[in-house]
Amino acid sequence: MHVPCGRCGPRPFTEFAFGGEWREIDAPDAESDFARVYLPENPEGPQRERWFHAMGCRTWTTVTRDTRTNEIG
Amino acid sequence: MAFEPGDSLASALYREGVRTFSRSLKYHRRRGLYCGTGDCPNCLMTVDGLPAVHACTTPCRDGMRVERRGGWPNAERDLLHATDSLHRLMPVGFYYKTFIKPGFAWPVAERVIRRVTGLGSLPATTAAERAIVRHEHVDTLVIGAGIAGLEAARKAAAGTGSVLVCDEGRVGRGVAPGPFLDRLRELESGVRAFEAVMVLEAFTALGVYEGLHVPLAGDGELVHVHPSQVIVATGATEAHGVFPGNDLPGVMLGRAAAALAGAHGVRPGRRAVVVVRTEEGLQHLRTLRGAGVEIVAVAAPAALVDRLPDIGAGEVVVDGEVHEARGGRSLRSVVLRRDGRAKRFDCDLLVLSLGLSPRDGLARMALPGEAVTVVGDAAALPEPGICGHGGTVCLCEDVSMHDLSQAWDEGFRNAEILKRYTTTTMGPCQGAMCGRALSCFVASRMGDAAEVAPQNAEVRAPRTTARPPARAVTLETLAAGVHEIVDKRTSLHELHVDAGARLDRSGGWLRPFTYGDWREEYRAVRERVSLMDVGTLGKFTLAGAGVNELVDRVFPCRTDDLAPGRTRYVLSLDEAGYVMDDGLLARVGEREWYLTSTSGGAGRTDARLRHFIDRLGLDAHVLDRTAQWGAINVAGPYARDLLDRLTDDPIDAEALPYPGFADVAVAGVACRAIRSGFVGELAFELHHPRSGGPELWRALAETGREWDLCPHGLDALELLRLEKGHIYLGQDTMPDDTPAKLGMAWAVDTSKPWFVGKLALERMAALPLARRHVGLGIEGGPSETAELRGEPLMVAGDIVGRITSAERSATLGRAIGLGWIRSSGDGFPDRLMTGSGAIATVVPTPFYDPEGGRTRG
Repeated sequence: MHVPCGRCGPRPFTEFAFGGEWREIDAPDAESDFARVYLPENPEGPQRERWFHAMGCRTWTTVTRDTRTNEIG
Repeated sequence: MAFEPGDSLASALYREGVRTFSRSLKYHRRRGLYCGTGDCPNCLMTVDGLPAVHACTTPCRDGMRVERRGGWPNAERDLLHATDSLHRLMPVGFYYKTFIKPGFAWPVAERVIRRVTGLGSLPATTAAERAIVRHEHVDTLVIGAGIAGLEAARKAAAGTGSVLVCDEGRVGRGVAPGPFLDRLRELESGVRAFEAVMVLEAFTALGVYEGLHVPLAGDGELVHVHPSQVIVATGATEAHGVFPGNDLPGVMLGRAAAALAGAHGVRPGRRAVVVVRTEEGLQHLRTLRGAGVEIVAVAAPAALVDRLPDIGAGEVVVDGEVHEARGGRSLRSVVLRRDGRAKRFDCDLLVLSLGLSPRDGLARMALPGEAVTVVGDAAALPEPGICGHGGTVCLCEDVSMHDLSQAWDEGFRNAEILKRYTTTTMGPCQGAMCGRALSCFVASRMGDAAEVAPQNAEVRAPRTTARPPARAVTLETLAAGVHEIVDKRTSLHELHVDAGARLDRSGGWLRPFTYGDWREEYRAVRERVSLMDVGTLGKFTLAGAGVNELVDRVFPCRTDDLAPGRTRYVLSLDEAGYVMDDGLLARVGEREWYLTSTSGGAGRTDARLRHFIDRLGLDAHVLDRTAQWGAINVAGPYARDLLDRLTDDPIDAEALPYPGFADVAVAGVACRAIRSGFVGELAFELHHPRSGGPELWRALAETGREWDLCPHGLDALELLRLEKGHIYLGQDTMPDDTPAKLGMAWAVDTSKPWFVGKLALERMAALPLARRHVGLGIEGGPSETAELRGEPLMVAGDIVGRITSAERSATLGRAIGLGWIRSSGDGFPDRLMTGSGAIATVVPTPFYDPEGGRTRG
């Protein structure tokens, strides 16, 4: 699997650290903040997620990956 | 043992008269050469100490040391063969059903079973050299360098892409001279002529992983191939025949017999019965005749009978089936059946060419939709072989048709669970022989019990899941490229070594724990002056137009009121409000900051900062100086006197107050001197370019002799920081510690409009505090108080907490510690019993110099 790094282009995923499902940075109140932090969508299908090019340029990238096929659209 | 050029281990042994190649796993039945293509387990031997080597595909070399597996005292005279006659007492599932009770019997039984079963012993020595690893990125990977594989490779190479061809053997090895070999050689030279083609012989594909990614195991090397497409050209093995007596030495597949007779010039038997159902079988028959084997009988379908070669006086049984093979030490006769009539033929060889059983394991590992194609015989339609009324289905694990029937009757009515219960297909051959026999068995029983899944064709002829590794692989190869722990070293490493320091791992670094006497090091800090190498701290420069917003948002404390030249202790919270790191934040200029983190948390800190810069869309930059800069903590009442000797810059309390920093030159080295409070004395952390480290340290140590300077390591630091009540993140904390639980609510400014974790803290603030960290005064108990660390804290016999750090402080004249305690309904206890009977009292921290006068200097 190759992850398209915003700076380096497609690179093997082994160079990256997985940063989890994309989520909002903020929430309107403490209760919805709980859902934001603890209740991810975890979809079977396309998922927006964060990858950190840890073994490369050390920038973050947001991609959409299909959790069934690992295809990155 | 003598051998001839080109001999495989199996052909050389056969020529010497060896017929029993191994003993079977469970019943210790004699097993002879069977598939001849490296697929079945029968010829697995220990070669030069390495178990599970296929004799049939291993070339003979001078001085090879070969041991047959199984059997006691050896495979030829095996007293454990008695287990064969006991097999009614050891039915399938025997292992699961027996030895369960009493519990103490199992370890004993296990030791015996391990001894009498198995494929040999692992070598007790470690490999002389570590296997190496490399990566190949190619357009096309072709697995298998036979006719189909080489043809596919040539076609792929004729395009523009790069091609890698691998084969577990060598191209053409073991193939008898003739038109087939000529064709192979011609294809091989054609493929090798392309520049973009790489051929790896003696490299075994272990599996097809998603990605695509195919690891190849070679001698002392693991090659990770990352291809755009994979072509599986692994060919086929000849189908396995299951009938009573099918595992007797003397029963073999056509290719094994033909290889012996054709390629190696060894007569596989004197009198043979041959079952021919394929074109290839006709060729094998000719080869056997050519080697002077007397053909007693041939069973062939009507369609092939006309094309049978001359078999002399032998009888042709049209549409004949093998009913049974009989013998003792080896095959003596074969019973063929046709139309319900049986006839016995005396012979010492039964050759089976029943059809193809594709080696499709690798192809079946690919996920749907991945660019994996199968060519040649590997894509052939499988023939069922013989799925008879008895006999050994699984040669590896000694599972008979009877065992399968019994398991079926016990209710294991599904290929996957039948596999797990009986271990069929789970041996070294990974179903190469028995996979289709198992599927055939299940299909036939499903037919009997059509109500199970009458509508589902896939379930009716089920194959079990193929998983890596497809072939046996040594642990040594699998360990290739596993990252060894590489300890980072500071620029002062050599100086510590020269000083005789005890170095050990800490936070990914190799750090001095003590230079000899840690108590003396401790006294140097408290009473005189000392140095510590703190170059392991995470060190970052933060800058950019949006950097002030960044620091304000990622740290829970106020930052806007920090003037240039001042520093502040900061916590890093995650989005759940939990403390993940701490450090010191220094304001360098209007839009420039300098940040330190814990030694182990540097990588996380960097990733975290970059994440929020990205997500908040800020114009801010992180410069990781952890490896670029070193740091030396100069600590003790005479620290300023020492520095005064080495700098012309002002370092008095006004120029360099606590908590603050200044850029100064010390001993000619440009340093950022940061007033630090971790050890609780007057202290200056000198952050310096790594290259200046040794020079700076030497100058400090030399000048410090006036105050009897002695450097300190992590052992002394443990007590120094504990006396100040400073926590070690990770040692004293837990992953779900909030600032409130740590008693560090002062490090959070809840009036700030937003910071990472703020809403989570607000939510938790509404809940009662369930746990908190406290300082402990400890009396009684064992005299060596270091043992107190990790002890439970109890109230009336109930465990309500734990000691996370504890030391006896000579300065304070008592034992002190840090720990956490849980709230009991009516608040937190303040007097607790430790696990070893000491009394711990909750006391305020810091224990030492609570007003902090010594730190402020």
